[in-house]
Amino acid sequence: MEFQSCFDIIGPIMVGPSSSHTAGVVSIGKFIHELLGDYPKEVKIVFYDSFAETYQGHGTDKALLGGLLGMDTDDSRIKNSLEWAKENGMQYEIEFESCCEYFDHPNTTIVTAKRGDCVVKVGGASLGGGLSKIFMIDDDMVAIRLSAGDDFSALASSYHPRKKVMDKAI
Amino acid sequence: MMEIQTMKELNEACQREEKSIGEIMLMMEAEKSGRDQQAIISMMEERLIKMKEAVDNGIKDATTAPSGISGGDAVKMNDYVQQGKSLSGSYISNAMSFSLATSESNARMGVIVATPTAGAAGILPGVLFSLHKNDGTPYKDLVMGLFTASMLGLVIANRSFISGAAGGCQAEVGSATAMAAGTIVELKGGTPLQAVNATAIAMKSLLGLVCDPVAGLVEVPCIKRNVIGTSIAFSAADMSLAGIESRIPCDEVIEAMYKVGNDMPRTLRETALGGLAMTETGKRVKERLFCRKS
Repeated sequence: MEFQSCFDIIGPIMVGPSSSHTAGVVSIGKFIHELLGDYPKEVKIVFYDSFAETYQGHGTDKALLGGLLGMDTDDSRIKNSLEWAKENGMQYEIEFESCCEYFDHPNTTIVTAKRGDCVVKVGGASLGGGLSKIFMIDDDMVAIRLSAGDDFSALASSYHPRKKVMDKAI
Repeated sequence: MMEIQTMKELNEACQREEKSIGEIMLMMEAEKSGRDQQAIISMMEERLIKMKEAVDNGIKDATTAPSGISGGDAVKMNDYVQQGKSLSGSYISNAMSFSLATSESNARMGVIVATPTAGAAGILPGVLFSLHKNDGTPYKDLVMGLFTASMLGLVIANRSFISGAAGGCQAEVGSATAMAAGTIVELKGGTPLQAVNATAIAMKSLLGLVCDPVAGLVEVPCIKRNVIGTSIAFSAADMSLAGIESRIPCDEVIEAMYKVGNDMPRTLRETALGGLAMTETGKRVKERLFCRKS
């Protein structure tokens, strides 16, 4: 049974408009923030499939940047996270692809994030109802379930970002 | 540890333990999470408060969503209801206003609570705060109502779907409406079986509803479907409280919803490739939005 808790049904507390295209994506960004221990200075984002088709209307880009900046799903600053990113000197570029070769789901993104010497490349999918899954960290396939109330820093603590190796990737 | 997979098992558990559906949910959550019941109740209270804030913010906000295709209707509806003009009676009229307020807030990237999804977030707060306004149902009872709703939702989610992408709007607004109907019954003193019957009646009324959002946005027709969902929830609850039963048991209705969802073509499951999304107007909106920024 995928749904276990009453809070899987009533929740998350989130900024709209979509639990899958907004809230779940904030969580993916927040997990990467925890991996790096802070917000990244440079980011390359690839949105696949449904994310690529509908990201503007759902604020998927704002959601991801908000999460990368350390915001939670219910942070009302997410609406203005493009400006927050600029203010914090975070440089980002977004690319679009039809389907992701690493993971078969319509709501998928791969994010390469860099801060100082640390670079991480993370694959995430938003499964619906605000639930997400990290399926890749650097070249390792993983399966980390992200629910909005979870302690992401504990979940991220067992993975250490690589240093300097992936400068070209960004 | 107690596991409940069907509405039949849920009803039996309520009989055996002499508890309401909401109380069974609370008990199960405490068992599974290891948290004490008071901590769980506090977490649920926080969600109810966020729902109230979304209603309060939305009901006076006449601005449009970034897309320009929604917003301002909660204010219109609320004015109309306050002038005493509405035909539907105060329970349904107020629920309609509150539901509009929540779903419009959602479209503006305001803070809401997914119940069970963001797309269907207007229905439960709509009916709950209408009960509070009309008969003074206290907030602590509304919190218990959220446990009732989540128990009903858990059974539906694990046996069928709750998202439009997976099973069409019947799965999203349908599930939320069904949860709301059962919750009203329990809050109004109906038995667990009556609550489950109301859930079945509400779900049957929305069976087959497709997910066809214009330009893929959670706005048209989603917002108004949330509004209509509240009136279906009250009608289903009234029937059940009157002693009317669903001729098809709730578990079979949920199974039917699952099968109908699986038979639904991809174009009608949140891809914006069919239904209202592909009307002349729907296509024009999509063109306008996607050309503007990209």
